[in-house]
Amino acid sequence: MIDFSFLARVAPTLAEGLATTVLLAVPAILLSAAWGAVVVMGLLARSRVLAAVTRGYVEAVRNTPVLVQMFFIFFGSGYAGYPISGFTAGLIALVVQNGAYAAEIYRGGIRAVAHRLAEAGLALGLTPRRAFRIIVLPIAIRNVIPPLSNQGVLIIKDTSLVATISVAEMTFHARLLADRTAAVFEIFFTLALFYLLLTALFTGAMRLLERRVRIT
Amino acid sequence: MDLIFNSLPLLARGTLTTLYLSAGAIVLATALGVVLALLQLYGGFILRALVEVYLYVVRGVPLLVLLFAMYYALPYANVQIEPITGGIAVIGLYFGAFMTEVVRAAVLSVPRGQWEAARAVGLTTPRILLDVVLMQAVRMAGPPFVNTCIMVVKGTSLVAIIGLADVTYVGKQIVERTLAPFEIFGAVALVYFVICFGLSRLGQYFERRLNYVH
Amino acid sequence: MSTDASGSLAAPAEIEIRGVSKWFGEHKVLNGISTDVKRGEALVVIGPSGSGKTTLLRCINLLEEFQEGEIRIGGDAMGYTVDAGGRRVRRSEAEIARMRAKLGMVFQSFNLFPHLSALRNVALGPVRVLGVPPQEAAEQAAALLARVGLADKADALPGRLSGGQQQRVAIARALAMKPKAMLFDEVTSALDPELVAEVLDVMHQLVQEGMTMVIVTHEMAFAQAFAHRVVFMAEGEIVEQGEPARVFQDPQSKRLQAFLKRFKQGYQL
Repeated sequence: MIDFSFLARVAPTLAEGLATTVLLAVPAILLSAAWGAVVVMGLLARSRVLAAVTRGYVEAVRNTPVLVQMFFIFFGSGYAGYPISGFTAGLIALVVQNGAYAAEIYRGGIRAVAHRLAEAGLALGLTPRRAFRIIVLPIAIRNVIPPLSNQGVLIIKDTSLVATISVAEMTFHARLLADRTAAVFEIFFTLALFYLLLTALFTGAMRLLERRVRIT
Repeated sequence: MDLIFNSLPLLARGTLTTLYLSAGAIVLATALGVVLALLQLYGGFILRALVEVYLYVVRGVPLLVLLFAMYYALPYANVQIEPITGGIAVIGLYFGAFMTEVVRAAVLSVPRGQWEAARAVGLTTPRILLDVVLMQAVRMAGPPFVNTCIMVVKGTSLVAIIGLADVTYVGKQIVERTLAPFEIFGAVALVYFVICFGLSRLGQYFERRLNYVH
Repeated sequence: MSTDASGSLAAPAEIEIRGVSKWFGEHKVLNGISTDVKRGEALVVIGPSGSGKTTLLRCINLLEEFQEGEIRIGGDAMGYTVDAGGRRVRRSEAEIARMRAKLGMVFQSFNLFPHLSALRNVALGPVRVLGVPPQEAAEQAAALLARVGLADKADALPGRLSGGQQQRVAIARALAMKPKAMLFDEVTSALDPELVAEVLDVMHQLVQEGMTMVIVTHEMAFAQAFAHRVVFMAEGEIVEQGEPARVFQDPQSKRLQAFLKRFKQGYQL
């Protein structure tokens, strides 16, 4: 049958990149979530100019590939005289891209909270602000956890792109190995396994979070 | 500006490749999505399990890894495929998983009352799907379908990493020669923006056409 | 007084319900219901919410499953037969579909197909299930729409029709299958009050034409005027039944008395 010993040979090399992958993914996820919260305030702003500018940013970012954004930042920074590492460029690109998506998710989550609930709050005598904070926000937060965790999985997977700007994460190591050996199938199989493991762990953690904040 | 002007022909060729890849992958992904969604909803246990496995794997593995796998494995394969066909195949297979979810959600979003009314008249499931559910599912599926198509277009940019001459690859080549990253990558980003934004506008147009007055 | 459906003493029951029971998890929703609906009879089922009246109706065309008992349509067993060993066997989907085609159902929420015109809503069943040629089906559909008073709305999409109009299209759609009996599930409950009459008028027409009907409704005035028999259900059982005049004027059971009292308090008949 299949000889699974290759796992023992390949895995350590890939594991060298694992730390970098995680080191990139975790800040990317957290910063995207935070940045998205800022952006959504711009989207929902009273000022039409601010809302329009923010909408422009979101549309520009959502309709261009994150790879191109990474190249733009990485090569652009070097050319402009302030070279940044591939890691930093990758992180910035991931946050810029996924912050926009997070903002859209937040926006959807807020709108999904039935108008009627907020109105009921107003009818009780709450000010719009307090109604938002006490009624809409808690429900909206629970609403956005599933789509945010989907987004998180995408971020974890997109960290593989920084291999192209010479960041030594998992995919980079896999590629180095593949250039040297003929055991390509085993290498990328193991690499896929690593990613599956990472995303499974992340998804599991998010599900626990979902359950903890559940209302019913 | 001069620079962009001179690069236009190359960028245009790259854009054509990008469009070709995108179209092929979208067609493949959609076909796959419809078939697998129906299997997932109405197939036997084994079929459903297979679909679940496929969905789980594809959702958890980066597209780049799959592309690399194809790129490195191709020389060892028995069949001689053009790299660009391989690219379409991998990208289509990858986004097929997303399309499956789109189709499944669309079919499930058709109200139960429609199924009941159709059954009450004596129609059976295949007939109900074709005559009653399909049109309504398509209408519901519009926005998520367009979003997935946009993801496909953006996903094609990854073939630049394995040396396929799409617009991103061409852009990178030009930048390496001319050292004008802002202009060139800006132009490349613009190309994608036009394509993707155009797709979403097209989607909105069709959504309005398919909308019945309520 | 409504037209009597007898003279059909010798006629077979169109719908036979024998000892039907249904559980929803631990909760018994229907408890050994038995009754017959004779050909040409208009049976109205009334009762409080949760009494199981809608569930019973939906068991007749197997939109709801029942765990015990038997239902026969024109002598043919619906949903389940008993095999040689005495065990319950589910009939094939094709057989069930065939039998459903013999019944017409009208729903509380109309459930018209929103992407098809009124005409095509009505013609879909005949074309796809009965194999009627499209041209002929269209003509029959147009005639049916005229019968329910909507001849001029044949090409309208459901979204453009009022609730009463949609429900009448739904009735025409059920009639198009030339059913042996028709099932009405609180068909006026979702309508604005001023639209209720147009639907009840069509139903009255059908009663006079001798259609076998099982009607679940809250419209007591309709029941009193046009039903041949009224069944009062509560908590999954038939508590009382009889001719409408007797049931409404002289209720025997305490439950029915209480139910009617609550109704009369709200009505100015």
